[in-house]
Amino acid sequence: MSKAIDIEKIILRVAEIMIDELKLEDVTPQTFNPDMDLVDEVGIDSMDLATVALVLRDEYGIRIDEDDYPKLTTIRLISAYIKNKLSA
Amino acid sequence: MRAAIIEPIQTSPEACKKEWKFSEIISDPIVRERWEKVRKYFFLRESTYDMTNRCNIRCDGCYYYEGEKQFAEENRDVEAWRALMAAEKKRGITFVVLAGAEPSLVPELCEVCYEEIPLGAIATNGLKLIPRTVNYKIHISVWGNDETSLKTRKAKDMLLRQIENYRRDERAVFVYTFTRDNIQQAAEVVQTLAAHDCKVTFNVFSAPVGYTGGLRHNRLSLESTRNMMITLLNRFPQQVLFSYYNAVAHTHPLSLHGLYGCLYPRMNPAADLGLGRSFRQYRTDLTWDKNAACCVPDTDCADCRHYASGSAVVTAKLYRHAVDPTTFKAWLDYADTYLSVWVTGYAKEPNLCNQLIVVPEK
Repeated sequence: MSKAIDIEKIILRVAEIMIDELKLEDVTPQTFNPDMDLVDEVGIDSMDLATVALVLRDEYGIRIDEDDYPKLTTIRLISAYIKNKLSA
Repeated sequence: MRAAIIEPIQTSPEACKKEWKFSEIISDPIVRERWEKVRKYFFLRESTYDMTNRCNIRCDGCYYYEGEKQFAEENRDVEAWRALMAAEKKRGITFVVLAGAEPSLVPELCEVCYEEIPLGAIATNGLKLIPRTVNYKIHISVWGNDETSLKTRKAKDMLLRQIENYRRDERAVFVYTFTRDNIQQAAEVVQTLAAHDCKVTFNVFSAPVGYTGGLRHNRLSLESTRNMMITLLNRFPQQVLFSYYNAVAHTHPLSLHGLYGCLYPRMNPAADLGLGRSFRQYRTDLTWDKNAACCVPDTDCADCRHYASGSAVVTAKLYRHAVDPTTFKAWLDYADTYLSVWVTGYAKEPNLCNQLIVVPEK
């Protein structure tokens, strides 16, 4: 399995979790642009991100540091963060 | 009444037993229900506004009359305020806190704010009734019994006058500020407020920068304050809007800043997310300064135990508290308390964690 496929899988799963947890409408994991700015363009904020982070912790068994939230502003960045943690 | 001896702060009984999944923590139906209730309010984005540079009393240790903000010109143009509120709404602000110096002196400005942004709270000394058409939460400051108020606030019969104005007013929450000198008086004051079926929450005096007066807390007074808070919470559970974890967070020898860090722009350079991104503290001339932006500007951060600050700072640390069922219940109690104090129509639920637990580490 190539690294590219891994990250794409993570992206889809993160998008799915985000849609479910934040009850986002008119978007599917497949149509969610992973480079869309979650704060500026989707309108989510720190508490929403913390909620998603908790579900991601369950899903991947990784801890997302509070100080890292501001860096995680797109689904791609979150997915890359997860991938890095899993590879560490 | 003396405060009862309260159990010391202890580690959550489930801590370190295992690594808890969040799904396990919220599998308890009562916890899940509370979680679903509080998370509905994650849309709240606050900013604060000084409404006037005038006040009808002068209190020792008043944060408003510290620093530069007190010298800002007043803007009393209703349309300028309306435009500001419209702009605030546009940039995503959903909750306003109207404070300094005494908002009840400019009711027409409070009205305009309410017309534009319908969720908010007003900090007042309660001596002048704010029109009932302004359906924000009204936080009425109480700093001890009337003898103490006369001494520190130079106002006679404060509690009596405050109760006359705000009894049976659903908007009202009396905020008892514990200083080093008024801890025991809280018992008689809360008893009086409870007898009039008034809601009460607790604040802890947080010294302004450079403050050298006698109200600043020390380790002993913080411990006594905590004991009194818990005693009164247990004695008046229907009237006191507070929790065991509130007591821990606000009476810890480390300040809120030391325990949780601070997200307000004054101390938080990150502007990407949360309060660092959206919070502003407007002065009476409708300007704001990022370097001073904080819900209690000019407070010494190393001594900050302010209830308004905690409401944002502790609540924001959701992730840190989702480590085991008891610690998460404590956080839910804190969030539930915060919402009941600040949000019109939000009713406080019974606390889920009635023990003093340690603040989880980052």
